[in-house]
Amino acid sequence: MAPSVLIVDDALFMRMMIKDILSKDGFEVVGEAENGAEAVKKYAELHPDLVTMDIVMPEMDGIEAVRNIIKLDPGAKVLMCSAMGQQPLVVEALEAGAKDFIIKPFQPAKVVEAVRKALQVEEE
Amino acid sequence: MAKDKSGRSLSELQIDALREAGNIGAGNAAIALSQMVSKKVGLSTPKASLMRLSNVPELVGGPEAPVAGVYLNVTGDCSGSILLLLEEESALSLAGLMVPGDIEEADDLTVVKKSALQETGSILSASYLNALGQLTGLFFKPSVPGFAVDMAGAILDYVLVDLASSADYVLVVETDFMVSGVKVLGHLVLFPDLGTLSKILDRLGVPFE
Repeated sequence: MAPSVLIVDDALFMRMMIKDILSKDGFEVVGEAENGAEAVKKYAELHPDLVTMDIVMPEMDGIEAVRNIIKLDPGAKVLMCSAMGQQPLVVEALEAGAKDFIIKPFQPAKVVEAVRKALQVEEE
Repeated sequence: MAKDKSGRSLSELQIDALREAGNIGAGNAAIALSQMVSKKVGLSTPKASLMRLSNVPELVGGPEAPVAGVYLNVTGDCSGSILLLLEEESALSLAGLMVPGDIEEADDLTVVKKSALQETGSILSASYLNALGQLTGLFFKPSVPGFAVDMAGAILDYVLVDLASSADYVLVVETDFMVSGVKVLGHLVLFPDLGTLSKILDRLGVPFE
């Protein structure tokens, strides 16, 4: 069965782009959320295999959302996708429980590679 | 010690340091832009200057010139705001490159195209902030960006309402990007809160005397 993915980004354009990239590569995008609070709610509802998570979003930011998702499910796999590549933010995201961090914008191949890698972490 | 056109003193060395930071930021922004539109992006040498806030609309052809603006607040080690202004024509070409389908008027900007432009502004601003963060060792965290297509004067008014500090002087980095033969004129306007500019200059090794 195709791995299921929840895409979280406040930008509609980015959600479309990521959805397009992942669908073409055989992933099943089961949901989208446009802020951290919605992401936590959808995670509890859908239990996706992986979440792609933006950081700078209204309502609740991505790092706070990762903390909440990990609280719900310590085995959750979240891949951060943010334009902010500054060290303190990357460290904070990884400490919150994110598996990896990719910096926007990205090439499709990089996204697919990072998603596959994040999914493998669990299988080992 | 050279005085900028608004009368505030910044040494040649300080201007140069800021220009260099602008250069690196623009380089990052060009790479980002190139990945977003899947095309090669050329870059002019950025011009960095300190100017009076009231002169900013002149950069894009006066207060009534139609522009696309992306605006965000910065917190972290330094605080302030960032406004990215794209001339309307440039913004529309850019949106057209990212989301296929013809557009002629800003009113015709589809939701997807607006989102694409907003995200571009957000990513370009982040490119500059990332560069400034690397150069200074300071951490800059941007807020969720606001986006509007309007007259330059109106956008500036909107920014001023939201501005916590009364930054009379702003730092402007002007860059021309060339995307598929289309010139995209970008003006990045930084509104440093009190103390932010001197903190940045300190870290760049060219403090105010």
